[in-house]
Amino acid sequence: MYSATATPVPDFLDLIPPERRSDPHALLQILIQIQHAYHHVPQEAAKRLAAEMGIPLVRVQGLLSFYSFLSPQPQGEYVIHFSDNITDQMFGNRELVALMCQRLDVNLGETRKDGRVSVHFTSCTGMCDQGPAALVNYLPVTNLDRERIERIADLVNAQIPLKDWPAEFFVVKSQIRRSDVVFRKPIEPGAGIRASLERGGAFLPEWAEDLAPSDARRHHLERGGAETLKEIYHSDLRGRGGAGFKTGIKWESVRDAKAGDHYVLCNADEGEPGTFKDRVLLTDYADMVFEGMTICGHVVGSKIGILYLRQEYWYMKEHLENVLNSRREAALLGKGILGTDLDFDIELQFGAGAYICGMETAMIKSIEGRRGIPRRRWPLPVHQGYLRCPTVVNNVETFAAATVISAKGGAWFAHNGTGQSTGTKLFCVSGDCERPGIYEYPWGVSVHEVLRDCGALDAQGVQVGGPSGTMINTQEFDRSACFEDLVGTGTLMIFGPQRDMFEVVKNFALFFQHESCGLCTPCRLGTTLLANYVRKFEQGCGSPVDLEELRNISGLMKTMAHCGLGQTANHHITESIEKFPAIWANRMKTTEFVPAFDLDRALEEARGLTGRNDSEAHLAPVEA
Amino acid sequence: MTSSFFLDGKEIPFKEGQTVLQAAMGAGQYIPHLCWRPELEPHSSCRLCIVIISGKPFSSCTQPAMEGQKVECNTPKLNAMRRAVTQLLFVEGNHYCPSCEESGNCKLQATAYHVGMQDSHFPHQFPIRERDSSHPRVNLDRDRCIRCETCVRASRELDGKNVFAIHGRGIKSRLAVNSPTSLLKDSGISPDDMAVKLCPTGALTVKRVGFEWPIGQRIYDKESLATIELREYANQEAVHG
Ligand SMILES: Cc1cc2nc3c(=O)[nH]c(=O)nc-3n(C[C@H](O)[C@H](O)[C@H](O)COP(=O)(O)O)c2cc1C
Ligand code: SF4
Ligand code: SF4
Ligand code: FES
Repeated sequence: MYSATATPVPDFLDLIPPERRSDPHALLQILIQIQHAYHHVPQEAAKRLAAEMGIPLVRVQGLLSFYSFLSPQPQGEYVIHFSDNITDQMFGNRELVALMCQRLDVNLGETRKDGRVSVHFTSCTGMCDQGPAALVNYLPVTNLDRERIERIADLVNAQIPLKDWPAEFFVVKSQIRRSDVVFRKPIEPGAGIRASLERGGAFLPEWAEDLAPSDARRHHLERGGAETLKEIYHSDLRGRGGAGFKTGIKWESVRDAKAGDHYVLCNADEGEPGTFKDRVLLTDYADMVFEGMTICGHVVGSKIGILYLRQEYWYMKEHLENVLNSRREAALLGKGILGTDLDFDIELQFGAGAYICGMETAMIKSIEGRRGIPRRRWPLPVHQGYLRCPTVVNNVETFAAATVISAKGGAWFAHNGTGQSTGTKLFCVSGDCERPGIYEYPWGVSVHEVLRDCGALDAQGVQVGGPSGTMINTQEFDRSACFEDLVGTGTLMIFGPQRDMFEVVKNFALFFQHESCGLCTPCRLGTTLLANYVRKFEQGCGSPVDLEELRNISGLMKTMAHCGLGQTANHHITESIEKFPAIWANRMKTTEFVPAFDLDRALEEARGLTGRNDSEAHLAPVEA
Repeated sequence: MTSSFFLDGKEIPFKEGQTVLQAAMGAGQYIPHLCWRPELEPHSSCRLCIVIISGKPFSSCTQPAMEGQKVECNTPKLNAMRRAVTQLLFVEGNHYCPSCEESGNCKLQATAYHVGMQDSHFPHQFPIRERDSSHPRVNLDRDRCIRCETCVRASRELDGKNVFAIHGRGIKSRLAVNSPTSLLKDSGISPDDMAVKLCPTGALTVKRVGFEWPIGQRIYDKESLATIELREYANQEAVHG
C-alpha cells in the first residue's frame, strides 16, 4: 500500500512529548501533524504510534482510511484540494480544475511522477461567498479564475515555497453585509462572563454574607451559574447547528449530572455545504464564542472546553491561539477567572475531512481520536459524552448568542424573532446574487426579503439549510426562515434562471454518497443507489419507475437511517421531483422501464483491455 | 417490581435497564435483527429492528423500554421497510446462496425468508472485494459480509483479541484484519473464536466442515429463525438472568 520511496520519519515523532505520543486520544491530532509535515502518514509512523500508544495498527489504519485529509500514500509537495460545492461548480471550478491539471501535467486524484504536486476535489470548504476556492497545502485560496490558476501552476512548477506566494491569494474576507441587534455592537470581551459572575454576587466582598470566605466564594459562583441558566431559559435560545434543541435544557442536564468531570465542546465542523457563518464568527467574533463557552463552563461546572475545528479552517489556528492567549492574559480564561474561583480553559482540536464529524456523537468520537462514526442514541452526550462524562455540545453561533444573553439578559434577546425562534440568526448567502456573504436578521425573515437584500431578483430556486435542508422554488419565496417553517443552519444557496437544477441535485447526491459514514444499511446503500439513479437520468435513461424508486429509497432512508445524515440525505431528491419536475421529465425515455444495466457501458472494461475504441467495439454508434 | 409496555397492543413486561428488543424477545415476541446478539453490546447498524414509538422510529436493540410505552412493530409499512433493508444487504455484496456452504445455516438468508423477500429488487452492486483464504482453518469471504461488526465486537468483547475492524468510509468500507500483513493467517484468529461462530453469514466460516450437514438438514431447514432465536434467548436468560 505504501510506496517504496516513502519519506522516512526521521525524528519527527520524537518532537512530540512522550505522554502525548502514548495517549490514544491524541491519535487523530498527531496524525494530522504528520500529514502536514510529510503530506502523508508513512507506514513507519503509523506503526510506531500504534506501538507507543499500545493500540492495534489496524486502528491507526482505520483513521487513515476514514478521514479524507489523511492519506497513507505520498501526496505531492503541493497538495491542492478544489472545493466542490455546487456554488464552486456554478462559477466554473470544473474548467479551472481541468486547466490546473493541464498546466501541471497531472491527473486529477493522482500525484505527479516527480512527487511535486497532487490535485483533488474535496467537499465544500466554506468559502462559498468567494469561490471557486481551493486549499493549497491546507490553506485556503479564494476567488479562483483562469489567471489565478495559471499563476499558481507557474509557482508550483517553479517550486516557489508557499510563503513566497502573493498574499492576496490567501485572503479570506468576512463579507458581513447586514448586521442586526446582536452583531451590530459586539459584546466587549469579558462583559458576558462578568455579568454571569455578578449574578451570583461573585464580586461582593466576602464578608457580605454570613459564611466563611471560601464557602461564600463557592456559593456566589454556584448561584451565578444558576442565575445565568435562568437567563438562558428566558431567552428561549435554540441551537444554531441545525436541530434547534433548547440550549437551557441541555445545559441544565449537564449541570445536574453528578458523574465525573464535565466538558464543553464547541462544534466548529461547519460541514454543511454553503455554510460559512462559523468561519466568520471565529474570524471576527472569536472572543464572543470563547466567552460563551466559558459562561457555559460556569453554568455546568466544567473546567475544560474544546473547540473542534474542521480541517478546512486550519489557517485560523494561529489567530485563535492568539485570541485564547490574550483572554488568558486578561484573566478571562485559565485559573481563577476575573479573580474568582472559576477555572476554565479551552483547547483547539481539528477534524480531518469528514462531514459526519459535525454530528455530535461522531464529533465526540473524533475528539477521542477515533473514526467519526455516530454512537448509538443512548446514553445521551449530556449524560455520557466525551470520555463518557457529561458533555455539552453546541454550535459556534449558539455560544456567541449565550454571551449576548448573559451580557444583556434573556428578555432582551427574546425580544427579537418569532414565537418559537427567538433572537437573530446569521444567514450565509451564496450563489447567483450580487452581494454574497453574511446577513444577520431576526428569525422569521422571508426568503423574499433576503433575496431582495442580496440582489437576487431572478432566482428560480433556493436551497435553504444546505443539501440536508429544503429546496424551494419561486412559489415558496414568501416562506420564512425560523424553526416553525424553514429550519436549518441558515444557509441560502441561490440558483439563477440560467442554472440547471439537475446539476444541483447531482452535486448533492454525490456529496452524500461520499460522506456517508457507512455504519448503517439504509444510508450506506441508499446514498449510493440514489447517486446511481441520478447518473442514470443524467444519461437520459430515466423512467417513471425509477422516479418511484427514488421516492421509495428516500422514504426508507428517512425512517430507517441511524442518524441525521442518512435521514436527510434524500431531501434534495424528493423535493426536486416535487418542485422541479421538468429536470427529471426531460431526462426520461418515454418507455415505462429502462434497465439499469447498459450493455454498451458494460463492454467498457473489454474495450480497455483490448485497447479498442472504434465503432466496431461499440453497440451504439459513437462520434469520432 | 416489573413494569410493562405495549408491543402492537400486547403487554410486555420488562426489567429496569432492558431494551425494547430484549424485553420483547424475553416475552416470546421476535423482532427481526441482524447486528444484535444478546451477549454483545448493541450496535444499531443493520436497522432491521426499527420500531415506531410516538410516531418516531427507534432501533429497538438500543431503545430502553419504558413504562406504558406504545410500540409499533409488526405493521405492514415497517415490514415492507425491513424487507427492503434486507434486500439492500443482498445487493450490496455478492451472495450466491445456491453455492454457498453456509446456505441453510445463514441468518441473513433466514432473515430474508422471515421478512418475505422474494427477489433482490434493487440493482446489484457487484462489488469487487478481496477474499482472505490465507488461514488454514478460517475463511473470510468479504463478498458475503454485511458489515454488521458482530465479529469486531465478539473478538473484542468475548475473545479478548481485537482481530477485526472496519476500514474505509461509506459504501467503500470493508472488514479489515488486524495483523502485520492484514491477512488472517498472521492474526490471532482461531476457528473456536466467538467472532467466527457468531458471524451471521458465510463471510467467516471454518474450513473443511462446510458440507458436514446436507442441505435439507441444516439449522433453518428444520425450524424457523424466530423459533430458534427465541429459544436461544430464553436459554441465555436462564443462564445469565
Ligand atoms: C450529519 C450531521 C452534520 C452536522 N454538522 C454540524 C456542524 O457542522 N456544526 C454544528 O454545529 N452542528 C452540526 N450538526 C448538529 C449536531 O449534531 C448538534 O446537533 C449540534 O452541534 C448541537 O449544537 P446546537 O444545539 O448549538 O445546535 C450536524 C448533524 C448531523 C446529523
Ligand atoms: S445514517 Fe449514514 S452517516 Fe448516519 S450512521 Fe447511518 S451510515 Fe452513518
Ligand atoms: S464478517 Fe460476518 S460478523 Fe463480521 S461484519 Fe461481516 S457479516 Fe458481520
Ligand atoms: S438489530 Fe437493531 S439495528 Fe441491527
